[in-house]
Parts: sequence; structure tokens; C-alpha cells
Amino acid sequence: MSETHSNEAAESLPEQLNHRTWTQALREGRLLGQRCRDCGAETATPSAACNACGSRERVTIELPTTGTLYTETTVAVAPQGFDGGYRVGVVDLGSTRVMARLEGDSDIGDSIELAGVLEVDSPVPVFE
Amino acid sequence: MHQAHIVGVGMTDFGVHETPLTELFASAAFDALDDAGVGGAAIESFYLGNAMSGQSEGDTHLAPTIASHLGLAGVPCQRYEDACATSSNAFKHAVRAVEAGQHDVVLVGGVERCTTTTGLETPEMTSVFASASHRQYEQPTGISFPGVFGLLTTRHMHEHGTTEEQLAAVAVKNHGHGTLNDRAQFGTETSVEEVLDSPIVATPFRLFDCCPFSDGAAAVVVANEDVAADMEADSVAVTGIGHATDVVPLAEKEDLTATQSARDAATQAYEAADIGPEDVDVAEVHDCFTGAEILAIEALGFVEDGEGGKAAVEGTTALGGRIPVNPSGGLKAKGHPIGATGIAQLVELTEHLRGEAGERQVDGATHALAHNLGGDAATTVVSILEGDA
Ligand SMILES: [Zn+2]
Repeated sequence: MSETHSNEAAESLPEQLNHRTWTQALREGRLLGQRCRDCGAETATPSAACNACGSRERVTIELPTTGTLYTETTVAVAPQGFDGGYRVGVVDLGSTRVMARLEGDSDIGDSIELAGVLEVDSPVPVFE
Repeated sequence: MHQAHIVGVGMTDFGVHETPLTELFASAAFDALDDAGVGGAAIESFYLGNAMSGQSEGDTHLAPTIASHLGLAGVPCQRYEDACATSSNAFKHAVRAVEAGQHDVVLVGGVERCTTTTGLETPEMTSVFASASHRQYEQPTGISFPGVFGLLTTRHMHEHGTTEEQLAAVAVKNHGHGTLNDRAQFGTETSVEEVLDSPIVATPFRLFDCCPFSDGAAAVVVANEDVAADMEADSVAVTGIGHATDVVPLAEKEDLTATQSARDAATQAYEAADIGPEDVDVAEVHDCFTGAEILAIEALGFVEDGEGGKAAVEGTTALGGRIPVNPSGGLKAKGHPIGATGIAQLVELTEHLRGEAGERQVDGATHALAHNLGGDAATTVVSILEGDA
């Protein structure tokens, strides 16, 4: 990612991260999260207050779009609306983790990157 | 503070029931009242666990409806939903009310139908179960509930070298126990080979690693020490209950193999009962999937962290072993009608403490522990019961 790109990204961080702004960013190929202004704890999905200290002072942050695969499962018997045989994983982004759909055959510990968005239901990240 | 006792227990067979929820629950509730030797007029309040009837049967405001079917209309009724930990949460509140002196005698139970008797087939019911995951940040990935525990168990396998054969050994043990329980959905043995040959549901779990879809109900009567002393039936004391939660979505849990809510709930329960894991004679734990039992016995302190995979293989957790786990057959063989499961664990343990568990009796058991987990381990309730030596 070029320096210019990062600067643009930083400028356009929504002041308040919620499901709408998180989703909007994801569709633009960006992963947004939150840092607690009081204790520094980071999360990859929005919440109204910090689970580590209870503070409501949430700062929107740009998360890396590369991470390592922390754990995974192949879902064969799928919920309604999905065709079984896909992989779901938890991606370690360093300071936090996020659940994502997986493409490819990465193993735990492999480096993977944000490759798109799955929109069967509301949008979620796809890592490859 | 009063001392709460379980003074009567009842449960239906777990399996397939065409009967409506009202009738299914009545069967368990009247068995519990009869066991306690009290009539409905003695019941001051009703605590019901039911996780999904709104989604699966189009049936809500269930507690007063069921109370009316039982002839209890008029008493305060409350209904709890906490995914698979549903009826343990109902039990906790019933016990707290008795401890506080708010009520002397209460009825607490759970009921659920999860089989095709609801009119729902496997994909629809898989969706109902998956709804316990985060609506915005987990469900849209297509994660199923076996998948949720697949994520936790795959990580345990990575960190500790736990194997598919070790997972299968949990199913083999619990099926073996289930053959001794005529209320169990599965009354047949299985083998490691049969488990490993069964089709994948969500890796690392195969069909035989997973509990079945079940219908059933369970109920207990809880009373204070004065009422319990006047009763004919043997009562058991509820000496500790712990209840803790962890963050949802699961990606934000600090440790995916710890099931931290179970550790926190166990710490509270052991402290209240003034015992440690080494004092527990028999346990019913939440083995919705084979991997879940491995995580549970580590969280409860029955084995060292990372050693859970060996326990079933080595017989540590079998009847006759150092710490018998799931003598009923567990969720795996006995069945798992979601909202009834927590109370069914307490029914089983009460029978062990009374010496009434028949062929699967843990001889001389005086301390029993139930571990009932909800969702992705975001909720756990741990209850400790004590009988007379
Ligand atoms: Zn904080």
C-alpha cells in the first residue's frame, strides 16, 4: 500500500464506527476497527464501549489487510442460504482478530490477505 | 441466607416426541412434583428454560402457557434463553430466589423440540442453531454451530496435538455410557473406526462427533432447607453455582481454547461450595461436540491444559475412571433438546447422589458438578450438588 493511499485512508476514517460504516469500508477493500482511547485495547468489529475497561471513547482505526490464519473449519452441513463445502476462519491481525470466509487452502500460521467481500447475507470479509 | 435443595426430579426420554411442548413438559414436571411428594399448590414460582420455540415452533410467551397446562396459572413465571445454557440459567435464578427467602418451593425446568417434529428439516434447524452466533459479524460467513466448535477444537489440535482419534474416543465413551441409560436417544455402542468413517459435518467433526437433534423435557423442584427436611424423598443440596460470560464475536476472545467463561464460572462455584476439582466424584459436562468435552474437562481443572485429548482414550473420564464424565451418555448419546439440557444434567447428578442411577451409578458419590455451556462458550453455568455420604 502506497503512502498516499494510507494518508487518504486515514483522512476518510469515519468518526463513529458502526455496522453501516464498517460495511461501507469493507466494500471499499478496507478493514476498520476500534481502539479504546483509555486503555488501548483494539477490536476488529464495532462495539459501543470497550470490553476491557468499559470506556465509551472509541477511536476508529485502519486495520491491516494481511494477517495470519489463527484457526479454521470447513463447513459441510451449511445453514440455509449457503452451499456447504466452504471454509471459515479466524484471522489474526496482530492486535486483534476477525472471523472471515476463506478462499484457498491456507493452514494455521500462513499469511493471508483480504481478497474480497462475501455478500450472501450482510457483507463479511474474504481472506485468501 | 437459606440453603437451596433439589427435592424432586423428572425427565422424559430424549429422542423424537410428536407431543406439543406443553404436554412434553408436563410429563417431566409431574414426575418431579411426584418425586418430591408435593402438589402444584405448593409451587410459588415457575422458572422455564426454552431457547428457540419462537423460531422453531412459532410459540412464544411460553412460561405462562405451560404453567396453565400444569394448573399453575397465577404464579409468577419467567422464561430464560441463553442458547444451550438456557435451563441452567433458569435454575440459577430459581436457586437464588430460594436462597434469598423470596420463595420456599419453586418449579424449574426446560423443554425443547429440535427434530423434524417441529416441521423444520436439517438446513432450517442448522440456521436456528447458527443464530446464536453474532448476527452481523459471524452468521454472514456461513458459520454453523458445529463450525463454531470446529474453530475452537482445530486451534486446540494445533496447540496441543489433539487428534481426531482422541475426539472419537469421547464419542465412544459417551455412547458406551448411553447404553446404560434407557432415557438416552442412542442406546448403542460405537467405535473409533465408525466415528472416523462417518461424514464430515464441520471439520474436525464428523457426524458421530456431534450430538443429535433431540426433543425432550426435564424438571426439578427446588426448596429451602426447612421444606426439604420435611420431605420423604432424598434431597441434595445446591452448594455452589457459578455463571460467567465472555465476549461475542468469538474472534475477540482472548484465548480460543480456554473457554474462559467456564473457568470463571467453575472458580465461583468451587469457591461457593468450598471444594476443588479433586473433590468432584461425578460430572455432567456440555459435550455438544466431542471437542467440547475436551475443552470442558480442562477448564474445570479435571485434567491439565492440553491433556484433555488423552482423558477418554486412557479411561480417566469413563465410568470406573478417576473422574467419570457424562455417565448419562452426555449430550452426545443421551441427546440435546437445547433448553432441557441443563436441567437434565442435574436430574442425572441428583440420581447419582441418591444412589439411584442403576447400572451407571458412580458408587459413593457425594459431590457432583454440572457444566452447561451456551453459544460459542460466551455463557457457562457451573453447578455443584452435594448429597449425604
Ligand atoms: Zn478500554
